Amino acid sequence: MDPTEVEFIAENKMVSIVPNFTFDRIFLISGEVGPFRAGLPVKIPIWMALNLRQRQKCRIMAPDWMDPEKLEEIKEEESQSRYFTKMPSEHYMVEGFLLLDAAAEDIPRSDEIRTIIKDIWDIRMSKLRSSIDAFVKSGGSHAKLDHLTALEINSIRPLLPHALDELHRLENALRIL
Amino acid sequence: MDNDNDLSFGLSDEEPISAQKVLKTLEEVWLNEKLSPELLKHQTEVVDCMLDQVQQMEENVSKLRKNDFRVVVHRMELERIRYIVASYLRTRLDKIEMFTNKILDDEDKREPEEKYLSPKEFKFAREYSSLMESHLQALALKHMPTYVQKFDKSKMSIVPNISSHVFLRAKRNITGIIIEGDNETGDEEIDLEENSQHIIQYKCIDRYLKAETVQLI
Repeated sequence: MDPTEVEFIAENKMVSIVPNFTFDRIFLISGEVGPFRAGLPVKIPIWMALNLRQRQKCRIMAPDWMDPEKLEEIKEEESQSRYFTKMPSEHYMVEGFLLLDAAAEDIPRSDEIRTIIKDIWDIRMSKLRSSIDAFVKSGGSHAKLDHLTALEINSIRPLLPHALDELHRLENALRIL
Repeated sequence: MDNDNDLSFGLSDEEPISAQKVLKTLEEVWLNEKLSPELLKHQTEVVDCMLDQVQQMEENVSKLRKNDFRVVVHRMELERIRYIVASYLRTRLDKIEMFTNKILDDEDKREPEEKYLSPKEFKFAREYSSLMESHLQALALKHMPTYVQKFDKSKMSIVPNISSHVFLRAKRNITGIIIEGDNETGDEEIDLEENSQHIIQYKCIDRYLKAETVQLI
C-alpha cells in the first residue's frame, strides 16, 4: 500500500478548527459538520480543514496531544518500554505532519513538536526493526503487534510478509524432501 | 437542498442504513480487498448504494450557486469517494486478470447466492479467459508441432498464495485459531483479543475475514 493511501485514510479523522466565517450545518455523505460560527471552534475532517486553511477561511487548532510536554512524556515512556506503547492518535505521524505543514503559525511551538514527533517515530522504527529481526530469527509464524500505527505497519510492507512467505515456502520444500 | 442522509435502502429485515455507515463499510471492504491475496466476495450492493448517493449529491450540488463554498467541499468529498470505489473495482479486476482460471473454476462450484463475482465481472472474466486462450493459440501454439498443441489450462493458471502473511485487527475476541507448524514445531493454537493487531497467515483467518470478525490493515 502506498504511504499516500495511508495519508488518505488518516485524512478522515476529525480536527478542531476556528472558522472566520459563519455558515449553517453542511450535510456531507460522511456525516454532518457545523454549524460554523466565526470565532467558535468546530470539528471537521482533516481533508476539509486543510482545504479551508489553504483558502484562509479558518485557523487550525492543535489536537490535545500535540503539546511539547505531553509528547515528551510519551517519548520517555516509549524509550523506557520494551514493547510499543499506545500512541495518542492512530495516525500521529500523518496528522502531525499534515497539520504542521498546513498551519505552522496556528500551532504554538510547532518546531519543537515536529522534532519530538520525529524522535518518537525514530524510536519506534528502531524498536520495530530489532523486534522484526528477533522475530524472523526465532522462526515464528505469527506475532502480535498491538499499538502499532498504520503508517508504521505500512513501512514494513512488503518486506516482513514477503520474508515470512519465503521462509514458509522454503520450510515446506524441506518438508517434501 | 441538503440531502437526507437516511436511505430507504436497507437489507431485507434490517433498519435503513445511513449513508455514513455505507461509506464506512465501503472503506473497510476496500482495505480488505486491497490487502487480501485472493479475490473476496463482491460487494456490489455497497458500491451501487454509494454511487447512488454520489449521483444524488452531484445533482444537489449542481443546483447550488457557483460561489457557495459548499460546492468545493462537497466536490472534494465526492472525489474522495469516487477514488475509493475506483480503487476497489480496479483491485478486483487486477485479481481477476491474474487468477482467471482459478476464479472461474471456483465460481462454477458455488451456489448462485454465494457467487464471488458480480454479473459484469463474471462476463469480463469469461471473455478475458477466452481472449487469452485464442491469443496464445494464434500467437504460439498454432506454430508448434501437433503433439504439444494441447493447452492444459489448469496447469497454466496462477493460483493465489493463501499462505501469504497479512496484518489484521480482530474486531471481536476470537478463540482457537490453529496455525500449522512445520516439522519441528507442532500446530499452534492461539486466541485473538478484541482490537488487537497481528500478522498471521491468510489461510488461518480467511473464514473470519469472510465472517467480518477481523479487518485487514
